[in-house]
Amino acid sequence: MIRRVIPTWLFFALAIAGVSVLLVSYEFLSQRQTRINPKQTTIPSFEKLGEGVKRMFAKQGTQENPKPPMFWNDMRATLWRLFIGMGIGVLASVLVGVLMGAYRWIEAPLSPIVMFLSKIPPTGMMPIYFAIAGTDQRMFTSMVALGIFFSMTQSIYQSVRDNVTDEAINKAYTLGASESEVIFEVIWKQILPNVIDCIRAQIGPAMIFLIAAEMVVSDAGLGYQIRMQSRVLNMNIVFVYLLVLGLIGVVAEYSLLWIRRRLCPWFEGT
Amino acid sequence: MKMRFDSRLRFTSLVSSCTVKSWTVALCTAAWFGAFQGCTDSKPASSTAAGTAASPSAVNSPGPVSAGNSTSKPATFTLAWSEYPSWSIFGVADEVGLIDGKEGQMGSIEKKYNVDIKLVLASYDSCITLYGNSQADGVCITNIDILGAAGSRNSIAILPTSTSAGADACIVAGVNSIEELAGKPTRGLEKSVSQFCFERCLEKLGKNPADFPFSQMDPEQAALAFQGKNDGINSIMVWNPFVMQSIRSRSDAKVLFSSETIPEEIIDMVVVGKDSLSKPGGDAFAKALVETFYTMTQRMADPKTSDETLIGIGARFAKLELEDMKTIVQQTKFFSDPNDAKRLFTDERFQKETMPLVSKFCVKYGLTTTPVELSYGDAKGLMDFSTKYISGYAESQTK
Repeated sequence: MIRRVIPTWLFFALAIAGVSVLLVSYEFLSQRQTRINPKQTTIPSFEKLGEGVKRMFAKQGTQENPKPPMFWNDMRATLWRLFIGMGIGVLASVLVGVLMGAYRWIEAPLSPIVMFLSKIPPTGMMPIYFAIAGTDQRMFTSMVALGIFFSMTQSIYQSVRDNVTDEAINKAYTLGASESEVIFEVIWKQILPNVIDCIRAQIGPAMIFLIAAEMVVSDAGLGYQIRMQSRVLNMNIVFVYLLVLGLIGVVAEYSLLWIRRRLCPWFEGT
Repeated sequence: MKMRFDSRLRFTSLVSSCTVKSWTVALCTAAWFGAFQGCTDSKPASSTAAGTAASPSAVNSPGPVSAGNSTSKPATFTLAWSEYPSWSIFGVADEVGLIDGKEGQMGSIEKKYNVDIKLVLASYDSCITLYGNSQADGVCITNIDILGAAGSRNSIAILPTSTSAGADACIVAGVNSIEELAGKPTRGLEKSVSQFCFERCLEKLGKNPADFPFSQMDPEQAALAFQGKNDGINSIMVWNPFVMQSIRSRSDAKVLFSSETIPEEIIDMVVVGKDSLSKPGGDAFAKALVETFYTMTQRMADPKTSDETLIGIGARFAKLELEDMKTIVQQTKFFSDPNDAKRLFTDERFQKETMPLVSKFCVKYGLTTTPVELSYGDAKGLMDFSTKYISGYAESQTK
């Protein structure tokens, strides 16, 4: 039957089974490939992956002039770009989205532009970003920020229009609230969980834009290293980096869920 | 201020939690399909990958195929190539019908050798990845980048196509001398032929490469950014067609130094995996590639077809006129004569000086952990430079 509840132990047992089957089939594929070509690096064995991890954390540079290990260097570059880019993008889209949802005379000129631009994939606009924003931090920031800005503005302004009822606003006015009070106390509080969900949904796209940009121009970062290492055929490092990308997504997802639960417990629908 | 919540709100939360769940399910399913896709995908890959594969039935070909034998179904071999003067020749050969790059379709040379050649056009570094991971039987690559790939796949260079004599260049704007370039970043493909050329030229010009920072950027994008006069992109190290495009589209651009300084150190070649070569039909594949190349260079030399061929190659590069193509061909010295190609691979300087230098470069930048074992004709090393197919072609011509 659809949605029939299964015992918790069975749920976890099946989850573990799923992951183990994945790992075993990976090992099988790796061994099969190794039989064909003993020197293959395409599907590295777990042992090779371990070597890759070791190389990722190996000390770089000389003794007098030590440099951080490759992995931390890349992580720092990528996370910083992602954080700054998303921060600016989120702030700007919340501001514009709320104003668009609140005032028809702001909505009218902006909504066709936002709707249209949110449909253009930012990766396709990469050459334009290079031309306007150069190739350093500014480019990554603007790429991520503008990349998520339009679609996020679109959903926030929709959320203001759909999730905040006229009744709620009228009640607030009746109780003597000023316009800024309506915005901060009624609209903002009602849409906050949706804003957090929007951020959750935008982490994926933001990562895509950032990794794509890093693959083209950068000398540090996860995207740069994935391209570089796949060219020199160190697939063991590439695979670990992909794993890390997945983990970043999972961690971000759960932290935002946790934040939402803390800030908006009423939203859980209990 | 307390509010009563709209029922719609609760509904939204329900929907969103549903989507999260279905999303997770979709992801898991996708991961699974991915895994199995890998399983099925590797079947054709393994048939390209190795003749030593367990199932002989995977390859639809009966034993070694010799020229002229056209009774059996030909085996398919893949050549990964990127746009470059002496490699775009294969793209033009496809246009004029010598070979048909589509799988299952045969051009005149393919028919002659009874082998099906599939052409895969990709960017230079994707070609390396494709070849190194056995997704391609042959690849167009330089003598620098092949060493990294040879570390994981035994390789045989069957044909030098050209040597760079100005085709790899450091182009600058607003920088008047090499001294002025010190400390300023140059953009290009890191740990590759570009960086090798950059450092070797500086060494030859009496400078210390350590004073000249080199940072990673896709060559095509670097050229575009340079042409667009982007901030911070005042020096790029790229190859043709990007060199020519950059010079043409920016009046203040000039070549600071180029591979002219290091003649016959950068060799553009066609390399085939040893495993692919020993597969049934592998020999015919190599012979067909060699013949295609020389047939095309003859067309370039023949006054009747020369311009047309050059324009053909230029059109692949987009927006380069015949005059530019003539310059490009000078900057890329083709090994149009099989004897010249043979001389290069057996040349003492190439074997004793150039390749050890390249080997050192590869170790320095971690392309290989230890120097790759090189051999010249006896196929003993991980990387072998063979004159077998060039000589074979030369002999067939004199007969």
